[in-house]
Amino acid sequence: MATMSRARPRRLVWRNTVAGWSFILPNFVGFAALTLVPVVALFYLAFTNWNVFGVADWTGTANFRRMWSDASFWTALRNTIYYAVFHIPLTLVASLGLALLLNRRLRGVAFFRTVAFFPYITSIVAIAVVWNQLFSPEYGPVNAFLRGLGVDNPPGWTTSAQWSMPAVILVGTWRYMGYYMLLFLAGLQTIPAQLYEAAQIDGAGPWQRFTHVTLPGLRHTTFFVTVMLTIESFKVFDLILVMTQGGPGQSTLVLSQYIYQKGFVENQFGYASAVSIVLFAVCFGVTAVQFLVNRRGER
Amino acid sequence: MRRAIPAAISAATALALVLAGCGGEDEPTDPNAPVTITLAGWSLSTTPEFKTLADGFHAAHPNVTVELKEYDATNYDTQMTADLAAGTAPDVYVLKNLKNFYTYQSGGQLLELPDAAGGTAYEVDGKTYAVPYRQDSWVLFYNKDLFAKAKVNPPDGSWTWDDYATAAKALTTGLKGAGAKATGTYQHVFQSTVQGFALAQTPSADLLSGDFGYLKPYYQRSLDLQAAGAQPTFGTATTNKLTYQAQFGKQQSAMLLMGTWYIATLLKQRTSGDADKFEWGIAPAPQFDTSTTGTSATPVTFGDPTGLGVNPRASKAKQDAAKEFLRYVVGEDAGKALAGIGITPAQTSDAVTQTLFGLDGVPQDELSKFAYAKHDTKPENPVSKHTAGLQNLLNETHSAILSDSTPLDKAITDAQARAKNEVLNQ
Repeated sequence: MATMSRARPRRLVWRNTVAGWSFILPNFVGFAALTLVPVVALFYLAFTNWNVFGVADWTGTANFRRMWSDASFWTALRNTIYYAVFHIPLTLVASLGLALLLNRRLRGVAFFRTVAFFPYITSIVAIAVVWNQLFSPEYGPVNAFLRGLGVDNPPGWTTSAQWSMPAVILVGTWRYMGYYMLLFLAGLQTIPAQLYEAAQIDGAGPWQRFTHVTLPGLRHTTFFVTVMLTIESFKVFDLILVMTQGGPGQSTLVLSQYIYQKGFVENQFGYASAVSIVLFAVCFGVTAVQFLVNRRGER
Repeated sequence: MRRAIPAAISAATALALVLAGCGGEDEPTDPNAPVTITLAGWSLSTTPEFKTLADGFHAAHPNVTVELKEYDATNYDTQMTADLAAGTAPDVYVLKNLKNFYTYQSGGQLLELPDAAGGTAYEVDGKTYAVPYRQDSWVLFYNKDLFAKAKVNPPDGSWTWDDYATAAKALTTGLKGAGAKATGTYQHVFQSTVQGFALAQTPSADLLSGDFGYLKPYYQRSLDLQAAGAQPTFGTATTNKLTYQAQFGKQQSAMLLMGTWYIATLLKQRTSGDADKFEWGIAPAPQFDTSTTGTSATPVTFGDPTGLGVNPRASKAKQDAAKEFLRYVVGEDAGKALAGIGITPAQTSDAVTQTLFGLDGVPQDELSKFAYAKHDTKPENPVSKHTAGLQNLLNETHSAILSDSTPLDKAITDAQARAKNEVLNQ
């Protein structure tokens, strides 16, 4: 080593750099072309009036001022928050509950885990068609069951402005809980068994073991799941589009669908870009708060 | 290795020069030189009209080959917009509806056609930018067997909407008495089934005025029909994904309001077994009042034309061939060829009507021929930069009203306020 010339390490560094870049480059080119450039363009387009053909006219903050007095935008924002506020805790509780239930040594546990995960890999269109039929106000099994329980006026579900969002939230929760259950299951398996044994010796009951061992042990998983769920909830699109198309009326219109409508249906790409920035800001803001809270909790 | 980089750069430059040479040059054209033009279409395996037009034109102009480029039927306009913006769109493309014509025209994506006949929906400032090759009009399809079963008189061309509603209720009762489950009528979930007629038939109704009071009686009637059980509810139709083809073709409903394109579908489904075989007929759409009823009058209905336009980026030779192709598609030969596959061409003539009614399975009664051939068809989507926005919000209004989510008066007032604030002042 001592006899190695000075040029040698420099060449080694150069070769390593080239090798490193050659690994990163294919992926980075794809990322740059399909994500980075469109995102940068989006920030520019939000300040223009552009119908896809020709040049975008610079309009300054006109799109953002227009949003301020656009009732549909506020409806979409409200509905997005409505969806997130219920979908996040419901999915969190359901997936954690499932994970706790299926973290035992039961006969056929692998089967039940697969069943719980199944909705996540099922086609969203199939899910929407089947759930719409289940929710059918007159002929659907859900309302038949409710009538059997003595409910005289069961909800109209996806055909009623009042119940359409709860229906979509229920289906959204059902679809995603299997995926988050899997993350929780992985988290649960990292908690050392000795902690439970020690707690038991100290006389902790099941609830105390849950609150003092399981929950703190799942801290990082729960944080990750919450962040992912938040982002997923704010950008919900496909499920609503195929289940209700934002209706009846505007009862399930969410921001991502409003962006699609303004951009791809009405060719107002400048305005759609401005609404996208708001959606981005909301997601970013909520996630940042979650990181802050999490960091404070870790101290 | 060192030589490879300049070699790659010069190869790329050469390729770019070759590619640049491909488009848009104004070289003198020989009318008989072989040319290939591309034509956009959708669902080519189930929509034979594009191939019919391409083959028919090639037979008359052997030097021009029309190559089809397939698009997705549902996302046609989105994909076409993307291709036009990227400069990869076909030389001739279809304007599937009038809603997006404004975007294409104002965006400079349609070649002006100075030789095309005027008076179409594709005119802006007296200049024509596309030609219609098919023109569907909404009519009333009815099942003669179910009318007989319910002992209700079939339509005779004199119906107003009240007559239609009375018949729908009588049919429902009659069919129930005869032990059949079918409803009197079926109005599909499309906003057109209510709004299209209201806009076309109501005197002084104007979509772009933002005053939607003209919708009220039409919605009132639809709500009444739902409440009376003479028509499946909006909720049932959406949650069970009812299709109008199955509702009428499988005799679930005695009447169906639909565009004339359904003739071709019904014929095909009867052959494939997706529809039952029964006696059916076409009647003019029910009318606003008696002034346009009867076979001596011209019934008013609606329907957007389906048109073809030329991509301005096509080379001169291709543009010439494309314009020739457009001249062919609006002519009688193409009309007869389209009628031969059950499609309603833009120019209906006696020969076209005879061709269509010569197809196996098409009803032969005079009223059906009258309903097919004679009507005053108003556009469903008047051309304007506000059309897409207004139709979107009216579609939301449609679902709010028919699902009983919002009372009729409030829904219309809300729609008017939204039209003013969110669309017309933009």
